[in-house]
Amino acid sequence: MATNTVNVEELKPHKKVKFWAEAKRQPFLLISSALLLIYGIIFYYVPVLGWVTAFQDYKPAVGFLKSKWVGLAKFQKLFENKTFYLAFRNTLCMGVINLVFHFVTAIAFALLLNEVRIVFAKKFVQTISYMPHFLSWIIVTAIVRDILASDGIVNEFLMNVCGKEMAIDFFAVKGYFWWIVAFSNVWKETGWNAIIYLAAITAIDPCLYEAADMDGASRFQKMWYITLPSLRPTIMILLLINIGNVLNAGFELQYILGNDVISDVSKILDVFILDWGISQFDFSLGTAAGIFKSVIALILVCLGNWTAKKTGDERLF
Amino acid sequence: MKKSKIAAIALASVMSVSAMAGCTKTPTPTTSAAGGGTGETTAAPAQVKEFSAFFAVPATTEINKDNEIQKIITEKIGAKCNETWLAGQQPSEAVGVFIASGEYPDFINGGDAMKALYEAGALIPWDDYIDKYPNIKEFFTPYEWSQFRQSDGKIYWMNPFENIYGQDKTTTQNGEAFWIQARVLEWAKYPKIETLDDYFKVLEDYNKANPTTHDGKKNIPYTMLCEGWRYFCIENAPQFLDGYPNDGSCMVDVNTKKIMDYNTTPTAKRYFKKLNEEYQKGIVDTGAFTQTYDEYISKLSTGVVLGMCDQWWDFAYTVNDVFKTQDTEKYGYNYIPLGLTIDKGMENQWYTSGGTLNVSSGIAITKNCKDIDGAFKFINDLLSQEIHDLRFWGVKDVDYKVDENGLFYRTEEMRKNAADPNYKTKHLCTYSYFPQWSGTSRDGKNAMMPAEQLSEFKDSLPEPVKKVFAAYGANTYIDLLHSVNKAGVWYPMYSYSNNMKTDTAGGTAWTKMGECKHAWLPKVVMSKDFDKTWNEYMKAYAECKPEDFVAEMQKELDKRIADYEKANAGK
Amino acid sequence: MAKKNSLKRLHVGDIIFEIFLVVFMLIFVVVTLYPIINTLAISFNDGFDTIVHRIHFIPHQFSTDNYKAVFAKEGYRMGAVNTVARTVLGTLISLVVNAVLAYVISRKRFLFKKSFSLFWVITMYVNGGLIPTYLVYQKLGLTNNFLVYIIPGAASAFNMLVIRNYMNGIPDSLEESAQIDGAGYFKIFYSIISPLCKPVYATIALFVAVYHWNSWFDAMLYNKMHDELTVLQYELMKQLQTAMRSAGSVEGLKNGGTTITPTSIRAAATIVTMVPILCIYPFLQRYFVTGLTIGGVKE
Repeated sequence: MATNTVNVEELKPHKKVKFWAEAKRQPFLLISSALLLIYGIIFYYVPVLGWVTAFQDYKPAVGFLKSKWVGLAKFQKLFENKTFYLAFRNTLCMGVINLVFHFVTAIAFALLLNEVRIVFAKKFVQTISYMPHFLSWIIVTAIVRDILASDGIVNEFLMNVCGKEMAIDFFAVKGYFWWIVAFSNVWKETGWNAIIYLAAITAIDPCLYEAADMDGASRFQKMWYITLPSLRPTIMILLLINIGNVLNAGFELQYILGNDVISDVSKILDVFILDWGISQFDFSLGTAAGIFKSVIALILVCLGNWTAKKTGDERLF
Repeated sequence: MKKSKIAAIALASVMSVSAMAGCTKTPTPTTSAAGGGTGETTAAPAQVKEFSAFFAVPATTEINKDNEIQKIITEKIGAKCNETWLAGQQPSEAVGVFIASGEYPDFINGGDAMKALYEAGALIPWDDYIDKYPNIKEFFTPYEWSQFRQSDGKIYWMNPFENIYGQDKTTTQNGEAFWIQARVLEWAKYPKIETLDDYFKVLEDYNKANPTTHDGKKNIPYTMLCEGWRYFCIENAPQFLDGYPNDGSCMVDVNTKKIMDYNTTPTAKRYFKKLNEEYQKGIVDTGAFTQTYDEYISKLSTGVVLGMCDQWWDFAYTVNDVFKTQDTEKYGYNYIPLGLTIDKGMENQWYTSGGTLNVSSGIAITKNCKDIDGAFKFINDLLSQEIHDLRFWGVKDVDYKVDENGLFYRTEEMRKNAADPNYKTKHLCTYSYFPQWSGTSRDGKNAMMPAEQLSEFKDSLPEPVKKVFAAYGANTYIDLLHSVNKAGVWYPMYSYSNNMKTDTAGGTAWTKMGECKHAWLPKVVMSKDFDKTWNEYMKAYAECKPEDFVAEMQKELDKRIADYEKANAGK
Repeated sequence: MAKKNSLKRLHVGDIIFEIFLVVFMLIFVVVTLYPIINTLAISFNDGFDTIVHRIHFIPHQFSTDNYKAVFAKEGYRMGAVNTVARTVLGTLISLVVNAVLAYVISRKRFLFKKSFSLFWVITMYVNGGLIPTYLVYQKLGLTNNFLVYIIPGAASAFNMLVIRNYMNGIPDSLEESAQIDGAGYFKIFYSIISPLCKPVYATIALFVAVYHWNSWFDAMLYNKMHDELTVLQYELMKQLQTAMRSAGSVEGLKNGGTTITPTSIRAAATIVTMVPILCIYPFLQRYFVTGLTIGGVKE
C-alpha cells in the first residue's frame, strides 16, 4: 500500500566529517532558517519571558523586574482551589470528546465527499459544508438553545414521534452537557476541518485506483483500502498537533451554554482563569494557570510524538 | 494576465498601507494652546484642542467623526474629545495593558480598576484645580468630594453619574423591585400588596382564573433570572424584604453600625422557603435556572410572565419597547413595581432618593495629558447649562421645542429621531461618560434629561399603567413603592465591595461566596426537602469564610463614618 | 474517466453505497444549511418581532432595518480598506514564509532538521500572555501600526506542519534528479516543489485569508486608539456591543423609534462579513482537483 512517505535514503552516518561540506551545499536552507530562527525567537520566545510573573505578585505598574517575588505561592493558590480541579477535569473531558468527534466526522465527511462523482454537486456540498465556520459561537449557541428548548424541534420530535410525555430540559441535566458541546462543535466545524483532508486526497497517486479497478474493487473498498490509508500521515500530524490543544476546549460555548444548575460539568479552565485571575487583577494567577496548561500540552505532545516514532508514523519533530 | 492582476492588487494594497502609515505619523491629539482659566464658555479660540479618552465600558453609542452636535460644542468651547470604548475585552485587562505600557489617553475611566490606575501613578491629583472650575466644584459638596480621597489624601477622579441638581425629577424606579403585570392588579381590583405572601397569593389566584395570555399562551406566574452576574434577581431580595436599602453586598444596622450578612438571616430562609414552596406548586418557572438573559427577555416580551424580581434597567427598556411596537401594551402586560417586605407594616427602602454616589470609579485625567488645565476646562464647559442642554436635549427646534411657558417638549418625530441609532451617531453627542446632571435644569423649570421631564414621561405611559397610577393615587413609579429614605452616610456599601479583589482575605471570601451562592441557590429552590438542602447550603456557605468579608466591610464602614464625622466636625 | 469505470463493472455494493451517499449528503446539506438560513432569516426580520416569535427559515415580519443599522457607522469604510489590505498582504506574506519554512524543515539533508522542527512545534503550545506580548510589540514599534496585523502572525507552526506534511509526500527522486542537473535548493523549491504543492498552498491561503478576514483582537489590543487603523470585524464587534447596551438606554425607550436588538443586528453583521469571504473559495477550489500532483513521475 501507498505509504509514500517512508524515506528511501537515510542520512549517511559520517555526519560530523561531512558537516561543513553539507553546510556549503545548502546556503539557502541555512540562511532562511537563520532568519526564521530570529523571527521565532522575537515573536514567540521573548514574550515567554513573561512567565516569570507567575512567580511574582505582578503589578503592571511596577513591571517584571521590580514586582515582588512570591515563589510558588501563585501555583499553590491555584492547586488549593477546588474549582480549579473541577474546571481542569471538565476541560480535559470535553477536550478529549471534541478531539475524537472532530477527527471522526471530518475524515468521514472528506472521504464521502470525495466519492461524489458529479463535480457540481461536490463543489456545492463543499461550499455549504464550511459555511457554518463563519458563524460566531454566539449565534451557534443561540441556535443550539433554540433547537433544544422545551418547545424546540428536538423535544417536539421526542414527544410526537417517540411518545415522550414531558419535554426534556437539556440544559438542566449534567449528563448531556458535554455531548451538546461536542455536537455543536461538529455542526459548526466538520466541513471546515475536512478541507485539509480534501487537499491531501488530491495528492494520492491515481494509479493506485486504476490498479484497484483492475482487481475489481468496489467503491467502498477503494475508499477504505486506498484513500483512508493514504490520509494516514495527514491524520497523524493533525492528531499530534491537536493532542496538545486538548486543554483549549473552547470558551464561548461553555460560557454561554453553561448555567448554575450544571456548573459542576460546564465550568472550564479559561472561565476559571477569567474569574479568579484576570477579573481580580491577578495576572500572575492567570499566567500560572497558562504555564500549567502549556506544560500539560507539551507532555501530551511529546508522548504522542514518541508513540508515533514507535509505530513508524509521521512525527512532529 | 493573471499575474499582472495579482501584482496590481498587491501594489494597491501596499499603497493603501503606506498611505495609512502616513496617517499615523501625522501629529495628532493634545495641543499646547494655553488653557483659559475661566469657567465660562467663551468664543472659540483659533485652535481647537483635541483630547483622547478611554472608557472601560462598552459604548452605548459611538458617534461619527463629523457628528453635528459635537461640531457645535467644539465651536462653542474650542475643544473636543475623541472617545474610545471597551470592546471585546475585560476592563481589568484593558487597564492592565495601559498601565504596563505606560501609554495613556488624556481622560480615562477605568471602571472597577480605578484603584490600580491610582496605584500606578497614572493619574493627576485634582486638588489644585477644583476651585478654579466652578461647574466642577459645585458638582459635589465638600463632604462628597472628600469621599473621593485616596490613601494619600488627594482626589483623582469624579463619578459623572446620578447626581441631582435642584429638585429631584426621578419618575421611574430604575432600581430593583418585585414587579407585577398591570393586568393582574386590574383583575384583583388594585389590592394592597405588602408582603411576599400577598404577592404570590395574587399571582396564584390570577393564574387560576386566567391561565393564558390574549393569544392563548400559557402564563408563567413567576420567573427569575440567574444567569451570571445578573443573579442578583434571585440573590439580593432578602436585604430589601428586611427593609434595608440596596447596599448591594450587605446590610448595615443603623443603630449599632454593624455590618450584617443578608444571606443567612431568618428572612433569607423564609424568602427561599417561599420560593421553594411556590416552585413545588408549579408557580415558579421550571426553566428559571437554565434560561439565558435573551430567553428571559423573550419570555417577558411575550407577556406570559406575571411577575418577577429585577432591576428596571435590566428588562424594561427592551420589554416595554416590544409591548409598544407589537401593540400588546393594551392587554396590561407592562410591569408595576411593588415595595414588598417580609412582614406587614414594615418600612421599605427599595427606592433611595437623592442619587447614589459611587466613589469607586469615575473619570480621571492622566499624567500623559499635555494640557491639564484645558482638560479641566473641557469638563467644566460640558457642565454649563447651555452645553448640557445641547448634550442631552439637542438643538432647539430641531430636537426639541419650547412652549410658551418655557417648557421643553418633543414631537413624536423628534422622539423617534432621538431613539434612532443612525441619528444618534450622526447628530447627537452626549459625551455620555463625562459628568452630567439629573434633576432640575438651572432654569428651574425643565428637567436636565428629557427622560425625566414629567410631561414627556406621562405622554408615553400605556393606558393600563395610567389606570394603575390612578387607582393607587400615584404620579410616578416611585410613588407606588412607598419607600422611605433612611440610607446612612455610608450608603452605598457596594461602592467598596465592587472593588474587592482576591488579594485580601475579605475579597477571596467574597468571590467564594458568589460561587457558592451560584451553585446552591438553584438547589435550594428546587429541593424536595428544603430544610435539609438549606442546612447543607449554609454549611457550604460557612466554609467560604463570610466572616472575613464582613470584617473587611466593617472596617470600611467604620472609616466612612469616621470620615463623615471628621468632615462635619470642621463646620 | 470516472464514468467509464463505473460502467465497466457494477457492484451491488456500489449501488447501495451510491444511495447511502446521496441520502447522507442531502441530510448533511440540510443540517448544515439550517443555521445559515436561520441567520439570514433573522437578519431580515424585525428585531422586536424576533424576540417574540421564533424565526426558522423565513422572516416573519420583513425588515431591512438591521442592515441599515449595521451600515450606520462610518468606521466601516476605513475598516474595509484595512481588512482587505491585511487579507491580501497578510496571505501573500504568510504563504511565502510558511512555504519556505516548511520546505527547509522537510529537506532530509537539512542539518538542523530535528531541532528546528522542535523549535517551531513548541511555539504552538507556549505563549507569554497578553501583557508581555504587548510590551515586546511596543518595543518593536508595532503598536499603533498597521504592520502589527501582518508581521507577528506571518510564520505559524500549524501552517508550516500542514505544508511540510504535504511536501513529505513528494518523492525524493524529483529533488535528486534536479540536484544532479545542478539545481540549488532555492531552484528546487521554486520550480519543482512549489508547483506540486498548489493544493496545500490553496488550503493554507484559505486558512490565512479567513484568519485575517475575521481578526479583530489585534486591532483592539494594539491599535484601539487609532481609528484609521481599524478593521472591519472590530467595527462590527463594537457595533454589536453598542446595540447590546443601547437596547437598555433611556433614549432607546419611550417611543419605539428603534426596533433593533442585539440578536437581529448580529445576524445582519454576520451575513455582511460572510458574503465577501465566501467568494474567495471558488477561486481556490480549482486547485483541489484529484490527480493534479506528481505529474508522470512515480517512485
